[in-house]
Amino acid sequence: MRVLIVEDEPRLAENIARSLRESAGYAVDVAADGQEGWFLAESNTYDVVLLDLMLPQMDGMQLLTRIRQAGQLTPVLVLTARDEKESVVALLNAGADDYLTKPFDLGELLARTKALIRRGKGQPSPVLVIGDLQLNTVNRTVQRSGRTIMLTAMEYRVLEYLAHRPGAVVSKTELLEHLYDYNWEKFSNVIEVYISGLRRKLDNGSDQQLIHTVRGQGYILQD
Amino acid sequence: MLRSKSIKGRLIATVVVSQALLAAGLLFAGVFYTRRRLVSTLDAGLQARAMSVAALVRYTEDASGNVYFDDSLMPRSLDPDHPDFFAVWTERSGLLTRSSNWPAGLEIPAGPDLHWDLTWAHVTYRVWRISHVPVLDREEGQSFRPQDLTIVYAAPLIQVHEQVRAAGVFIALASLALLGATFLLALYGIRRGLLPLQRLAKQAALVSAHNWELRLPTDAEETTELRPLTQSMITMLARLERSFVQQREFLGNAAHELKTPVAVLKSTLQSLLHRPRSSEEYRAGVQESLEDLGRLERLLQWMLRLARAEQWAHGALRRDIELIDITETCEEAVERIRSLAQSRHTRIHLATNGKVLFRADPEDLQLVWQNLLENAVRYSSEGGVVEVAVTRTDGGPARIIFEDHGVGIPADELPHVFERFYRGAWVSHRESAGRSVWWNHYCRKCPQPRHTHDRRTPVERQQLNSYWLHPFRFS
Repeated sequence: MRVLIVEDEPRLAENIARSLRESAGYAVDVAADGQEGWFLAESNTYDVVLLDLMLPQMDGMQLLTRIRQAGQLTPVLVLTARDEKESVVALLNAGADDYLTKPFDLGELLARTKALIRRGKGQPSPVLVIGDLQLNTVNRTVQRSGRTIMLTAMEYRVLEYLAHRPGAVVSKTELLEHLYDYNWEKFSNVIEVYISGLRRKLDNGSDQQLIHTVRGQGYILQD
Repeated sequence: MLRSKSIKGRLIATVVVSQALLAAGLLFAGVFYTRRRLVSTLDAGLQARAMSVAALVRYTEDASGNVYFDDSLMPRSLDPDHPDFFAVWTERSGLLTRSSNWPAGLEIPAGPDLHWDLTWAHVTYRVWRISHVPVLDREEGQSFRPQDLTIVYAAPLIQVHEQVRAAGVFIALASLALLGATFLLALYGIRRGLLPLQRLAKQAALVSAHNWELRLPTDAEETTELRPLTQSMITMLARLERSFVQQREFLGNAAHELKTPVAVLKSTLQSLLHRPRSSEEYRAGVQESLEDLGRLERLLQWMLRLARAEQWAHGALRRDIELIDITETCEEAVERIRSLAQSRHTRIHLATNGKVLFRADPEDLQLVWQNLLENAVRYSSEGGVVEVAVTRTDGGPARIIFEDHGVGIPADELPHVFERFYRGAWVSHRESAGRSVWWNHYCRKCPQPRHTHDRRTPVERQQLNSYWLHPFRFS
């Protein structure tokens, strides 16, 4: 999953980003002002945007409006110091999906971020089930037919993304875009390596393959 | 009802006391007048009775000119318990006769007309002495010289006193009845008269921190005596509301400004505790937290300073303001910002033309200058110049100009400079968090020193990248 943080307080942005990376294994991009935030949101694909309201260059409300006007459906979680009812109503009416008032709890921020990503992908439950495969997004565990499968952080991220879109073809480019942040050098063969590793671990002891290759298009996770 | 601290009680007491005084006066006057009239009437009666006694003195038939008293026709006394007494003296032979009840030992010589009161056997009598009364029994052609009589006649005053007492009791009772009626009338009138005040009090009781509107009752508005009170209440409420709004704004701003540093600190610590880390990571985290706490502390200091300034502004805190040199405060502010300017390769040029003396807190002024200078340096392009000028023309206002050549404040954003939570597009980060609160409130609320005519410090746009401050106008 890939998250965009638009926050002009560098220390806060850094703490949130570190937490998202360490706890959820997300790829995180940070923008320090509204203009940069819009540039990143426009040129990349994010699974969720964490947006501060008071931003230089372009304030959070303007950026949110612009994102929605551009037709982007990415869930937006607003981080605000203002908790007046009018302000919250205005935010939600402008297209925000959720909000957190500062100072917030990092655990709550993570939980809300994960929930927004799930809902954004039509998966309301934190436990994703595809056939006999169970993926728990809260404690980041994977089981197949009751057997716990140990994955590397990157393998888990690839599997989690595929599991959020079961039955859909996911291209390598999409996987790269959602699994790596802006500064990462993107090489598609990295994905092939992780897919290969995943297949080996998931299909071990099972006669049914879960990850299928659609030639020239990408991968599909289905029973 | 008549408590001394009650206006109604005082008014009623005043009415009752004045009415009681009036009743006492009336009683005294009535008794005095009645007694006087009755005694006057009695005097007339005494004179008539004395003349009746004189009529009973007759000349003897022998033409000697001697007289005798014929008591066969003597009229009866009005008060049989205390009969009248009298005595008659003739001109020639002296005492002619005395009533049988003449007090023993009472000697009254003949003399001119006189009347007086006499107490005998615990009874007060009214006594009249009438002289030169001719004997009425005189026939035409008599050769002897006629005699004159002196008559003393006394009658008791008991009946007069009883009548006076009766009149006094009547007047007193009537006055008491009138006093009672006046009391009730006053009570009713005063209660009715105070109704507008009660309605005003009810409306005033509805005023709260959430509802400042005072709906004045029509009768309270129309009552002359209440008009100064209603006007004062309206003015006071307006002042209170303003004060509450300012306090709310300050609290809101303070809470808002505190949220971000608290969020940073909290997230740093939570992030540290999220998983086991190396001692270097913990050390770095603690160091960052200390820096965050330093920011928080500075913010709190600014807020405390602002709170003190507000107390000072409202006269709640005494403050001895010294005469300081504005130029000196600018020089010190420039020195404090110099390292930041050097790191951005920005030059600060300070132009002055001598001392500009002014009564102000030097730390407050330095805070303002530093804030402006820091903004000017941060929002200038690297290698730029920030110009500060302290000028004063003779007798004119002192003018402090901060001019940078950076991004400037767009004209359409100038009106929002003092708005709560407003962050202009030119602001690139939050280093100035908290100071905006200080600057905002300081410029709005800090009372102007004595020698100024400007109520508020205006920020005036001169060019694209500069603004002038001319807060000080010396008289």
